[in-house]
Amino acid sequence: MAYYLGVDIGSLTTKVALIDQGGMLLARAVRRSGYHGRETALQLVDELLREKGLMAGQIAGTVATGYGRVTFPADREVSEISCQARGMVHLFPGARTVIDIGGQDSKAIRVLPGGRVADFAMNDKCAAGTGRFLEVMAQALEVTVAELGALAAGAKGRCPISSVCTVFAESEVISHLAQDTPREDIVAGVCAAVASRVTSLAGRVGPEPEVAFTGGVARNRGVVHALETELGRPLLVPADPEVTAALGAALVARSLTGGS
Amino acid sequence: MAKERRYLPLRSTRYLGRTMQRYYLLTRYQRLWGRPLKRPLAWVTSGAPVEILRALRIDPVYPENYGAICGARRVAPELCRAAEAAGYSPDLCSYARAGIGAILRPDLAPMGGLPRPDLLVTCNNICGTVLKWYEALARRFNVPLFILDTPFVTGELKQHTVDYVLEQLRGLVGGLERLTGRRLKPADLQKCISLSNEAVRLWGEIRNLCRHRPSPLNTPDLFVHMAPIVVLRGTAGAVAYYRRLYDEVKERVRAGQAAVAGERYRLLWDNIAIWYQLFRFYHLFSERGACFVTDTYTGGWAAGLAPGDPLESLARTYTAIFLNRSVDFRVRQMVDLIRDYEVDGFVMHSNRSCKPYSLVQEEIRRRVMNETGVPGLLVEADMTDARVYAEEPVRNRVQAFLETLEMTV
Repeated sequence: MAYYLGVDIGSLTTKVALIDQGGMLLARAVRRSGYHGRETALQLVDELLREKGLMAGQIAGTVATGYGRVTFPADREVSEISCQARGMVHLFPGARTVIDIGGQDSKAIRVLPGGRVADFAMNDKCAAGTGRFLEVMAQALEVTVAELGALAAGAKGRCPISSVCTVFAESEVISHLAQDTPREDIVAGVCAAVASRVTSLAGRVGPEPEVAFTGGVARNRGVVHALETELGRPLLVPADPEVTAALGAALVARSLTGGS
Repeated sequence: MAKERRYLPLRSTRYLGRTMQRYYLLTRYQRLWGRPLKRPLAWVTSGAPVEILRALRIDPVYPENYGAICGARRVAPELCRAAEAAGYSPDLCSYARAGIGAILRPDLAPMGGLPRPDLLVTCNNICGTVLKWYEALARRFNVPLFILDTPFVTGELKQHTVDYVLEQLRGLVGGLERLTGRRLKPADLQKCISLSNEAVRLWGEIRNLCRHRPSPLNTPDLFVHMAPIVVLRGTAGAVAYYRRLYDEVKERVRAGQAAVAGERYRLLWDNIAIWYQLFRFYHLFSERGACFVTDTYTGGWAAGLAPGDPLESLARTYTAIFLNRSVDFRVRQMVDLIRDYEVDGFVMHSNRSCKPYSLVQEEIRRRVMNETGVPGLLVEADMTDARVYAEEPVRNRVQAFLETLEMTV
């Protein structure tokens, strides 16, 4: 039996996915990239193999993706746009548009059946509307990122937050707090800001249904809800959105070695 | 990725160096040799009707070309900072900022800056910024400013527009005649127009040679070798230069030599070059066998002058340039280039400096992709202000784009 590895070294977290010949996800791991994304990734791979009782020699192919992709000793490095498209279409064969919000960037990808990329758009150099944006806002609100979704669900209103700049948005949040605006309403505003920014990105690739949403931020129910409202349609969200690019990388590794 | 050299240098580059050195040396000392000959020095925009100036023995200097030099020499950010410290907005064109910065800080400026002008000639066929930029220069130097207003051409060029511009050209001629104390001789103007036309024709033919597979040139070659067609337009020097370049490129075609070894993808470039990253940026493509076989920018200097009455010809030519045309026109232009050069993909530089060029790109991209089925990538940068350029996101997009080509071509 041959196995394939996908390694996604992102700006915030490193993800590793292990699949078998049939494309089944056998194991996955996520950890903060930290200072040494490459070391973190090597460690995760090591732990994953040990957990599954596999030898390094049983891995028939490895593909690295994400910002740290060039540092990792893989068979090949592939951009996360291609990997994300491949992974998401594997999970949702009907998906034609993939929205991915990661730590530092957000992307909209139009995909063809089979997972090939037809077109894509990414945020510019500014990280407003990404995972980092949510982290900064959570910090200003003194909650964890994981709590944002539940808070947004409890909102009665939605206070407007601009999505132009993370630093300016943070001062907006602080001034809303100073005015005793309910925290829930501010969180709903933050989620809407992320959704509005990524919706205009999706507009550039002409979003075709079905639309799937992935990346670490897809765990946030508040953003999912705000994005569904903006786009006017339900979104396909994977159970494990952090690892879809790593899964795609593993699938690319399988194709490269002729494993289908 | 392979470290070997995949990029074939041109022999003409040495001749280019000599040609441009001579031009800038003459320009630098123009105040010494020009005054006794009663030859005024003019700062002009790239779309100004320079043939009239040359026929009246006015020597033109191009601050935009100088801005590109500041970019390529990587001093533009410091010069821009100097202009920003003086109150000019960071959102202003970086050619304008670098040019103004070079006046404020000649110690930082290549060649110590440009020599002081006797007059300024600006034409808004390329953008609106040049009006305010040149007004600021006119106040600073306290010299006459001549403005040529070319209305935006929404569909076809109309006769009333031509008449309007023609009337201004007559006014310009009168003004320059008073300033120089000379009469414009029709034969002199015709000679300059003919020289412009010959250089433009050669430049167009050089570009056309890139229809061959493999392409003999990569667009950065065109960016480097376009300098004479800008600053020596209307001179015999430009014609001589492009004859020589044409011969070398033709020789490459005959020998089947490729600008990018192992040409796999043929690309189209849209917008001004990223001057401070010229080779590093294009290397991201050439290292994967992608060659830019044509572009919209250097093609701006390949449009021949219309026949007929010289002044009317100038009115038509300078009003009809592509940056003064509608989105429909620019879509058509790109679609035609994609067909004629057998292009596999196109890359648009969203240039923070150049608003008329960049603001409509997303719409053009969408329409060109729909019409041709060829994928297009948008990259954000600036032509000279390197502070706006972030390499990693750019590298990421370029790689993803080339991966889509790998799977579709």
